[in-house]
Amino acid sequence: MGLEDQLSDHVMTTTVDQVVGWARKNSLWPMPFGTACCAIELMATLASRFDLARFGAEAIRFSPRQSDLMIVSGRVSIKMMPVLKKIYDQMPEPKWVISMGACASSGGVFNTYTLVQGVDQFIPVDVYIPGCPPRPENVIQALMKVQEKVAVSKAM
Amino acid sequence: MADNEKIEVEEAIVEEAVVDSSSGTVRELKEHFSDAVLDYQDALSEETVTVERSAIIAVLRFLKDESSTPFTRLCDLTAVDRLYLDEDVRFAVVYHLHSHLSNQRIRIKVPVPESDPVVGSAASVWPAADWMEREVYDLYGIEFEGHPDLRRLVMPDDFGAHPLRKDYPLHGNGERDNFAF
Repeated sequence: MGLEDQLSDHVMTTTVDQVVGWARKNSLWPMPFGTACCAIELMATLASRFDLARFGAEAIRFSPRQSDLMIVSGRVSIKMMPVLKKIYDQMPEPKWVISMGACASSGGVFNTYTLVQGVDQFIPVDVYIPGCPPRPENVIQALMKVQEKVAVSKAM
Repeated sequence: MADNEKIEVEEAIVEEAVVDSSSGTVRELKEHFSDAVLDYQDALSEETVTVERSAIIAVLRFLKDESSTPFTRLCDLTAVDRLYLDEDVRFAVVYHLHSHLSNQRIRIKVPVPESDPVVGSAASVWPAADWMEREVYDLYGIEFEGHPDLRRLVMPDDFGAHPLRKDYPLHGNGERDNFAF
């Protein structure tokens, strides 16, 4: 039936969106915006015991121009927020954001004058991770959620 | 000897000991700045001398350069807001000094009124005072006269308040929801 019938068994048809989404989701390049203890858990996630490389996201880039996934891990003060926004703006499209832990997601226990009460007030967040700090398993699950989102996103 | 007499003698010795417990440094200070020394406290050999605001830099310079135990290190410079305490003067700037030579420590306090929150800068005595004074200025709004570069240290430059003052609300005055980008 259709085009598939005309082709032999070793040829497969698909869409550009699917191929690009599959490639992107298995090669996410995280930009770690680590400002507190969550960043320590993030480092543990990347290290041998939890090994984020199994999910294709081990190439941590401290240059925003080389990354497509921002992981905000830690408190963000009102003095730091413009810095975060600038780095986010420097990341090339398409890009995704994980808000890791209670502080980045809501300010956490720091309900004070100087702390941003959730980075989603200023940048779009794709996945929130609860916890204080979250365990590496939570980070891996969040990454897999982002992968699901990346896989079905448009190529262009 | 009757018991009463014995007790009296012991009390006299204790009184003498209390008077003598002030270190040589404190006695020197009282000698040189008899008008400027307002108060002296001893808490388990931790000595605190309260000094008149106008004399503070002279006192600090004396402690560093001329006293018999030179206090070469400024450990800490901070402030206290005594708004809800039983004090006439709202602020106090506190200096913690340490002598490398004798390992002795001393605390100097200066009362600073709310109406005119200005103190002389100690940055010319110890360069370490530079950032500490900037922090106090940032968080308490106390100005340091003669400071080389009195800018805010931890809060953003355009932050309108001094957040460690006791009458500043914990959640702020809306700065965290409305700040410059």
